[in-house]
Amino acid sequence: MKNSNGNKIRLGVFVSIGLALFIIAVYFIGDKQQLFNETFKISGIFKDVSGLQVGNNVRFSGITIGVVENIEIVSDTAVKVDFSIDDNTRKFIKKDAKITIGSDGLMGNKVAIIIPGTQAKKQVQNNDYLITTIPVSIDEIMVNLKVTTANAANITEDLAVLMESLSSGKGTIGKLLMDTVFAKNIDQTLVNIKQGTGGFKQNMDAASNNVLLRGYFKKKKKEKEKK
Amino acid sequence: MGKNNSSTKETAPDDDSKDEPLFPNFNNFFTEVTLISKFTVNIFKNIFRPPYEFNELLKQCYNVGCRSLPLVGITGFIMGLVLTIQSRPTLEAFGAESWLPAMVAVSIIREIGPVITALICSGKVGSGIGAELASMRVTEQIDAMEVSGINPFKYIVVTRVIATTLMLPVLVVFSDVISLAGSFAAVNIKGDVTFYLFFAQVIESLDFADVFPAFIKTFFFGFAIGMIGCFKGYNSNKGTEGVGIAANSAVVLSSLLIFIIDMIAVQFTSLFQ
Repeated sequence: MKNSNGNKIRLGVFVSIGLALFIIAVYFIGDKQQLFNETFKISGIFKDVSGLQVGNNVRFSGITIGVVENIEIVSDTAVKVDFSIDDNTRKFIKKDAKITIGSDGLMGNKVAIIIPGTQAKKQVQNNDYLITTIPVSIDEIMVNLKVTTANAANITEDLAVLMESLSSGKGTIGKLLMDTVFAKNIDQTLVNIKQGTGGFKQNMDAASNNVLLRGYFKKKKKEKEKK
Repeated sequence: MGKNNSSTKETAPDDDSKDEPLFPNFNNFFTEVTLISKFTVNIFKNIFRPPYEFNELLKQCYNVGCRSLPLVGITGFIMGLVLTIQSRPTLEAFGAESWLPAMVAVSIIREIGPVITALICSGKVGSGIGAELASMRVTEQIDAMEVSGINPFKYIVVTRVIATTLMLPVLVVFSDVISLAGSFAAVNIKGDVTFYLFFAQVIESLDFADVFPAFIKTFFFGFAIGMIGCFKGYNSNKGTEGVGIAANSAVVLSSLLIFIIDMIAVQFTSLFQ
């Protein structure tokens, strides 16, 4: 009898803990989806929602503040998206705030991103419509990438032609780099300049010892000493 | 003489085949399905009909739930640990190591936790019920109950089926939580992730669409384990040999049924996603 009561207590504890764990899990998941917080609704009209789904997160300054509540096609060029936002963040979202669609990392889910408005504006009200911006799609990035790749291909092509000209000794720089006769001439010119400057120095030494010019050189020396 | 002998040898099997059905296994299968269906209907009839065997139900709940917890807990911990360690190299190759808690959480909550726990319970509880009821049948305890005015079906079968149906979801909750603890331990073997970050990433990755279908299907798993175990044990024959056969076939059939239920549940859930 005692053992039976003990078993019943153990069973009660077992079931209670199990249920408590389940309820805690449900609470946290529900809390993440703003199920237990007071929320308000805002909407936006997009041309293209880029795969945004009901239940995706809404971010404001990188913090998750709500979820996508509903998505419906209004016309052939407009998709209305309703967002459920935590009421505590309402004071930070101004009337001129913008909504765009981004993604959570390269492989992550789509997220709606609220770009803050100006401080002076009033805060948003329930059922307000916010301005939307067109998200940069992967297709657009690919188109830009294609143009950049084409430009890079042209540049490398030109560079190849230039290198070919240089290696074949065309042009001044090409001659400088590749022509051995030109290099020898420059070398000879430098030798001549060196010999010329040596001769000039000898002439100047001889002039300083000349009777006619000695006075001039002495005067120059005195001026130098004075300084 | 030789000719006559050979002709009798050839015709003998043809004579036997006239008595046997064309596809004996198929016939057995459909007979079994009919019997299981009748058994299930009987269970539902007896669930709501008084008198209610509460004390026996609580005893069975204790046997199924509390006594399976250590086994389920150890298995769950190892499952979470191993899954995380095995998944890490693949995610590392993509530079997505930070997705490890999210990936493991979704795998465990949606699929691995419920199915592995159900299979373990099928092995431990299903075989136990099959063997217990078969030995009761062999030793004529069930007949004795009938004679003494107790409804054996209600007392033995219904209580066990309800117990497995109610306790398996609780065991799965424990298994999931312990598996995530194992995963947290595995994540921290090579990295350094705080409990708060791990918990936040797990919750962030989960949705009601992950939790509720997985939780609801465990009731069906539990019902299948209890019902098949009771069916095999309650209808066993062939004396003591039947006890072993009942235990064995209870595990095999309930395991198969778990996978079939899982497949149907996944298909059904995907209709609403």
